[in-house]
Amino acid sequence: MSDTVATGAVKTKRESTLGYLLPALLLIAFFFIVPVLMLLMRSVLEPEVGLQNYEALLGSTTYLRVFLNTFMVASIVTLVSIVIGYPVAWLLAIMPERWSRIVLAIIVLSMWTNLLARTYAWMVLLQRTGVINKTLMGLGLIDTPLALVNNLVGVTIGMTYIMLPFVILPLMGVIRTIDPAILRAAALCGAGKMQCFLRVLLPLSLPGIAAGALMVFVMSLGYFVTPALLGGTSNMMLAELVAQFVQSLVDWGMGGAAALVLLVVTLVLYAVQLRYFNPARGK
Amino acid sequence: MKYKIAIALLSASFCFSNSVAAQDMVFTSWGGTTQDAQKTYWADPFTAESKVAVTQDGPTDYGKIKAMVEAGNVTWDVVDVEGDYAVQAGNAGLLEKLDFSVIDKSKLDPRFVTDYSVGSFYYSFVIGCNKDAVEACPQTWADLFDTQKFPGKRAFYKWSAPGVVEAALLADGVPADKLYPLDLDRAFKKLDTIKADIVWWDSGAQSQQLLASAEAPFGSFWNGRLTALAETGVTVETSWTNNITAADSLVVPKGAKNKDAAMKFIAQATSDAAQAQFATATGYAPVNLDSNTLMDAELRKSLPDMQADTQVNADMTYWAEHRDEIGTRWYAWQAK
Repeated sequence: MSDTVATGAVKTKRESTLGYLLPALLLIAFFFIVPVLMLLMRSVLEPEVGLQNYEALLGSTTYLRVFLNTFMVASIVTLVSIVIGYPVAWLLAIMPERWSRIVLAIIVLSMWTNLLARTYAWMVLLQRTGVINKTLMGLGLIDTPLALVNNLVGVTIGMTYIMLPFVILPLMGVIRTIDPAILRAAALCGAGKMQCFLRVLLPLSLPGIAAGALMVFVMSLGYFVTPALLGGTSNMMLAELVAQFVQSLVDWGMGGAAALVLLVVTLVLYAVQLRYFNPARGK
Repeated sequence: MKYKIAIALLSASFCFSNSVAAQDMVFTSWGGTTQDAQKTYWADPFTAESKVAVTQDGPTDYGKIKAMVEAGNVTWDVVDVEGDYAVQAGNAGLLEKLDFSVIDKSKLDPRFVTDYSVGSFYYSFVIGCNKDAVEACPQTWADLFDTQKFPGKRAFYKWSAPGVVEAALLADGVPADKLYPLDLDRAFKKLDTIKADIVWWDSGAQSQQLLASAEAPFGSFWNGRLTALAETGVTVETSWTNNITAADSLVVPKGAKNKDAAMKFIAQATSDAAQAQFATATGYAPVNLDSNTLMDAELRKSLPDMQADTQVNADMTYWAEHRDEIGTRWYAWQAK
């Protein structure tokens, strides 16, 4: 994590401690990597050796729609999370520490609450007869209930809520490292508030935005619970498709193929992040 | 993920604490009020009598059954599965043959008995309606598919299983005795007409929530869930017209470690008394033909087996043969 130049002594120390990692690595290899590989192998072995599962998967407009939908949902959630999370992160960074600790605790606490419970809570809030619709109708703002759940709106709200901490935390870290003197200097040089934000603060916090965005995007790609509960069947995402193949249709070849496509996309994105947005490399 | 690990650890510790019993077996079902009743009326008396402790697990997962059998490490001894799956899995070699010297099949409803499975309980897809939320309730499948006469959201079972396809065809005017082989093109065309108004439920508890909150004021439901909902004070109207029956089955996965106990458990669970008590508690019908005499006559009127005159039997053998084909099409249609 440190940006300091690694000296020779530090390096050897790091290498000699690598041995301590071995038990954890072995554990992950045996109980995670091997089973995943076995499922992925099935995609080219079942029902017979060949690429027929990939042909079926990539050749069908239905499944392509699921892929597109997955990317669309992940993109929307990422965008909304940044737009909402940025001001929060900024505020947290400039707040007196006493207060920022409390706000931070609230944000982190929400992450520790059971995911299912949180998602069901949204269901109750958003449904046609839910609190939000009843309030809006009671106030006379709408005549018929808004469709807030079992569609893209529901998925976006539910997932953005869950992803927000993953944007706020890295962003806050980056914004805190920005020297307030730079902003003062910009203002002294005649920059307006907007200019200060757009040309100084935003570019300097870009690594934080990139880190948060990528984390949210990649996590959203494989998300299951929230889209399954808050989305409609026409907003199906890839993880649901995998579950359907594995559990309902008991077609593990297709399930493995869909999982591999998801994995490849995720790894490519991760590689892109390492290449272009690695904060440790100073960009 | 964290809570899953916690659950795994918890259940692991239960396993250890239970291992003092001479012999354990595991019963797996779908959770909720149904499995609670299965535990109370099947498993607990079985344990009291045989001293075999029964660990409850769930929910039923066909992917897991396949994985266990293939890996040769089967931890489930008796599983409650859908009837069409039981037939298909039996043919695919995933199940043990049942021992009918232990299980007395002469008393069991023959519609649900195969070499590999016996009925667990049977239920009907019926038209349920929250009377407080709407002025008029749909009475037939045609009504439920009529968005002009009955505007609003309607709830349907999300998974590909006997029930919804049949309902669509009945609504479109196919006579009940001419349903099979299913005309899927016609069924999906009919389903297209209400697709935008469908809210899918994927579990019994969710179906109750949708109806009680009037998120979907009517729809197709398992009859037992409506009975349970009515008991909580919701004004539920049930229409039995052309109720579509399907059954759950009890099966033993191939290679189950406690096969003998599993057979005895099934014998106990399908006995007339156990079936009568379970039916009384859940509103599902017993699969034991002798159970009826043990039950309250008034209560029996609300069970599917008393609605036989207008009943449509889902063809499990047809479904077992075409399960994958229908399923693939079903999910593709849903995702469109």
